[in-house]
Amino acid sequence: MAEISFPFPFPNIWPLVPEIIVALAACGILLLDVFMPSERRHWSGFAAIITCLIAAAAGLSLSGPTQVEAFYGFFVLDPFAVFMKLLIYAATILAIVLSFEYMRNEQNIGEYYSLMLFCMLGMMLMVSASDFITMYLGMELMALCTYVLVAYQRDVLRSSEAALKYFILGALSSGLLLYGISFLYGVTGSTDFSEVGQALASAGPDARSAIVLGMVFLLAGLAFKVSAVPFHMWTPDAYEGAPTSITAFMSVAPKVAGFAILIRVMVDVMPSLQTDYVMIFSWLAVLSMAVGNLAAIAQRSIKRMLAYSTIGHVGFALLGIIAASASGYAAMLVYLSVYLFMNMGAFAIVILMRREGIQGELLDDFAGLSRVRPGYALAMGVFMFSLAGIPFMGGFWAKYAVFAAAIEAGHLYIALLGILFSVVGAFYYLRVVKYIYFDEERVAFNFVESLPMQATVAFAALVVVAIGIFPGPLMEICRAALGGIT
Amino acid sequence: MMEALHNVLNFPILSLSIFLPLVGALYILLFVRGDEAARWSALAISVATFLVTLPLWLYFDTSTAHMQFEEKHMWIQAFNIHYRLGIDGISMPFILLTSFLTVVCVVSAWECITKRVKEYMIAFLVLETTLIGVFAAMDIVLFYIFWEAMLIPMYLIIGVWGGANRIYATIKFFLYTLAGSVLMLVALLAMYFKAGHTFDIQDLMAYAFDFRWQFWIWLAFFFAFAVKVPMWPVHTWLPDAHTEAPTAGSVILAGILLKMGGYGFLRFSLPMLPDASQYFVPLMVVLSLIAIIYISLVAMMQRDMKRLIAYSSIAHMGFVTLGTFMFTQQSLEGAMVNMISHGIVAGALFLCVGVMYDRLHTREIADYGGVVNVMPVFAAIFLVFAMSNVALPGTSAFIGEIMVLLGTFTVNKTVAILATISVVLSVCYTLWMYKRVVMGEALKDTVKSMLDMNAREIAYFIPLILLVVWIGLYPLPVLDVIHASVSHLAEQATTSKLGAANMLAQQAAEMASHAGGH
Repeated sequence: MAEISFPFPFPNIWPLVPEIIVALAACGILLLDVFMPSERRHWSGFAAIITCLIAAAAGLSLSGPTQVEAFYGFFVLDPFAVFMKLLIYAATILAIVLSFEYMRNEQNIGEYYSLMLFCMLGMMLMVSASDFITMYLGMELMALCTYVLVAYQRDVLRSSEAALKYFILGALSSGLLLYGISFLYGVTGSTDFSEVGQALASAGPDARSAIVLGMVFLLAGLAFKVSAVPFHMWTPDAYEGAPTSITAFMSVAPKVAGFAILIRVMVDVMPSLQTDYVMIFSWLAVLSMAVGNLAAIAQRSIKRMLAYSTIGHVGFALLGIIAASASGYAAMLVYLSVYLFMNMGAFAIVILMRREGIQGELLDDFAGLSRVRPGYALAMGVFMFSLAGIPFMGGFWAKYAVFAAAIEAGHLYIALLGILFSVVGAFYYLRVVKYIYFDEERVAFNFVESLPMQATVAFAALVVVAIGIFPGPLMEICRAALGGIT
Repeated sequence: MMEALHNVLNFPILSLSIFLPLVGALYILLFVRGDEAARWSALAISVATFLVTLPLWLYFDTSTAHMQFEEKHMWIQAFNIHYRLGIDGISMPFILLTSFLTVVCVVSAWECITKRVKEYMIAFLVLETTLIGVFAAMDIVLFYIFWEAMLIPMYLIIGVWGGANRIYATIKFFLYTLAGSVLMLVALLAMYFKAGHTFDIQDLMAYAFDFRWQFWIWLAFFFAFAVKVPMWPVHTWLPDAHTEAPTAGSVILAGILLKMGGYGFLRFSLPMLPDASQYFVPLMVVLSLIAIIYISLVAMMQRDMKRLIAYSSIAHMGFVTLGTFMFTQQSLEGAMVNMISHGIVAGALFLCVGVMYDRLHTREIADYGGVVNVMPVFAAIFLVFAMSNVALPGTSAFIGEIMVLLGTFTVNKTVAILATISVVLSVCYTLWMYKRVVMGEALKDTVKSMLDMNAREIAYFIPLILLVVWIGLYPLPVLDVIHASVSHLAEQATTSKLGAANMLAQQAAEMASHAGGH
C-alpha cells in the first residue's frame, strides 16, 4: 500500500468527477425539492436524468484506454468501469422514466429520485472499487438506498414487509461478506484487490483453510447481491412488494454492479483459486437456472414471475464466470447489456398496464392485449421471445455467448443443463405471449397514457431487435471493455 | 483473402428471396389498413417472391454439385460467423416449394380467415422468410437462427387461428422443437471450437472429426432433426399441431417444416458425420420402419381427417429417412423426390380437408359421407391427391417411393420388403377415408347443403395437380436438378473421415512431443 504522509498531497480527484457530480446532484435535488411548488415537482425526475447524462459524458471524456488510479489505489477508472457505469446509467435513466407515471400520486417525489441517484452512486463506487473497503462502502450505500426504495409506499403492508425482509437478509449477507473479507485480510494483511491476489497466490498450504473459508463467505455475500440460488430468498418478495419501477431498477442495475464486482474479484483476487471458485459457481449457476426457471412456471403474478426469471438469468450469466476466460467475461457483459433492455422493456409494459385499482400485476391481466393495443402486444412479444432466447432477438445472442464461453472452457455438461433449463424457461415466457395473443379480453383495459413510457418501450424493443440482428458491435465493445483487466 | 463466389447472376438473389417477404410484412404492418388490402398485398408480395425465386431454377447449373448463387459477408467478427448463402440441388427445390406453397397458402386463406387478417398475412410472410433462410444458409449459425426463428410465426399461427385445443397444441409444438434444436446448438458450438473456429458448412464438411466426436454430434443433430421430421417416438407433437392449425398452417407444416428435418440429415449428418451415420444405420432403419408400418396402422384408426393425414405424413417421412440412410444414389434421390412430392401432396390433402371444413366446420370422418353427390368437382380433385398419397403410378409420390424401394432393395432385401408393406397400408387408410367421406349416398342434411368449390378454390388446386402429374410422368427435370448434388453427397456419406482424423490426431501428438522435446 502506498505510503501516506501528512500533510498528504491533494488527491487526484479527476477519475471521480462523475461520482462527485452524482453526489452533488442528489443532494441538490433533495434540497431544492422542498422549495418547489407541488405542481412542478416533476422537474426532479428530469434533473436526475440530466445528472445521469452529464455523469456519463464526464465519464466518457475522462476515460482512456488505460487504468487510472485515485485515492492510493482505492478507486480505479478503466474501460471496464466506464462500460459498466454506462449500463448502470442506462438502467437508472430507464427506471426514472418508468417512475414518472408510477409515482405521480406519491408524496416526496424529490426524495425518491435523490435516493435513486444515491443508489446509483453506490453502484458506481462498486464498479470502480479496487479495494475491499471501497467495494463494501459502495455496496452498503446501494443496499441502504434500495431498502428504502422498496419500502417507499410505506402505507402498503406488502411493501413494508418486503423491505423488512430484504433488510434483514441484506444485513446478514453484509455480515457474511465482511466476515469473509476479514479472513482474507487476516491471511494477506491487505484489502487491496491485487495485493490480496498476489499474497493468495504465494500463500502456503497451512493458510489454505482460512483462504477457502474467506472465499466462501465472500462469495456467499456477493451471491446474495446478485440473487443467485440459494441466496435468492429475498428476491420474489422484494420484487413483488416494491413499486414496479423500483422492481425494474432492482432487477437490472444492482445485478450489473454485482457482476462487475464478481469479475474484478475473480480476475484480481482469486486467479489462484480458480478451481475452487469455478466449482462453487457451477453449483450456484445450475441451482439458479433450475430454481429460477422451474419456480417461475408456478407464478400467477407477473412481478414474481419476472423475479424468478431474473434468478434464472443470473444463473445463465454466471456461466461466464465459470468459463473464467476473457470470452466468458465478455459474454457476461453481452448478457447484462441485452438483459437490461429486455427486462426494462417488459417492466415498462407492466407499468403501462395499470388499471383502476389494479396495477396489471397478474398474468391474466394481459389477456387480449393484442386486440386492444397491438403495439404494446408486439413489444411485449419481442421482450418475451428475447428473454426466452429465440433468434433475431438480442436474448439469443446473450445465451449464445455464455454457452459458447462455457463450452470453450470445457464445461459441456453445465452448458447442456443450462440449455435444457432455457427450454423450461421458454414455457413461461410463451405463456405470457399466449395471454396476449390467444386469449380474449376479460376486463376493460385502462392504460396509462404517457409519451415518455411509450418511447421507452419502443426504444427498448428496437434495441433488443437491433442487437438480435447485428450483435457484432456489442460483442466487440464488450471485449474491448475487458481489455484493461484480463 | 476472399475466395471466388459462384454466382452466375452477380446479384444477391438469395438475399432478395429471403428478405422480400420480410420487407413485405413490414410494409403490411405499417402501411396497409383493412382486411381486403392486406389480402391483396400479401398475395402480391408472395407472388413477387415466387417470381424472384424462379431464376434460381432457370439459371441453375445442373452439371455441378458446387454451391451456386453464393453470397458471403462477415456478420459477427467475434465468432467468425458469416452471412453466407448458397444453394445446390438439395436445397434449391425446397426454396421453390416454399415460395410456391406460400402463394397457395395466401390464396387458400382468402375467405376462411376472417379475424385478424392482417396479422395472419404478416405471420405467413415472416414464416416464408425464415423457411427460405433455412434452406439457403451456408453458415451453420445462420441456419440455426432461421431454424429457430421459424418457431415464432408458427407458434402464433397455430395459437391465434387454430382450432379448439390450439393452445395445448402450439405450446407442445414449440417446446418439442425447441428442446430438440437447442441440443443442436450445443453440438455446433462444440464443432466450432473443435474444427478451428469456423461455422462454415463446407469447412465443417471437410473437417475430419474422429469417431467419438461424430457419435455425440450426430446424436445431438439427430434429436433436432428427428423431432422435426418427425420420427417415432418423438412424433407426438405433429398430430396435435396439424389438427389444431388453420388449413394453411397445416399446409406449410406438412409441406415445408417436416422437410427441414430431412434436409438437416442430408445437409449435416451425412456429409459431416459419415462414420457416425453409418454406425447409426440400424437405429435409423428400425425407426423408419416403425414410422412406415406402425404409424400407418395408427393412421388407419383415426376418426379425424387432419389427424389421419398427419399420421400419413409421418409414415411418408419414414420413407424419406429410410432412403436417406441407405446412402445409395437411387435411394437418396428417392428421398429427395419423396420430400418434394409429399410437400405438394400432403399440402393439397390438407387443403382438401380445409375446403370441407370451411363448409361444415368439422373434421370428423363420421360427419361426412356422400360428398360426391353435392361436390363432384371437389370429389375428383380429392381423388387425385388421395391417389397420389397411395403412390399410384403416374403421380409424383410413386417416383419417390419406387426409387427409395429400389435403392433399399440393392442394400437390404428384408428392409425393402418390410417397407413395401406400407404401400398396401397407405392404400388402406387413404382410400378407406376417401370412401367414408366422399362415396355413398348423401344422407346427412348438413352434407346435402354443401356447395361445390368456387373458382378461387379450384384455381389453387390446378397448379398442384399439374405438378403432381408432371413429376409423376416426367420426373427428369427434377432428377436433373438434384442428380449432381446427390451423387456428391453419396460420395461424402460413404467416405470415412476416420483415416484423416487419425492423421490429424497423429500430427497433434507429434506437435505435442516436439513441443515437449524442446
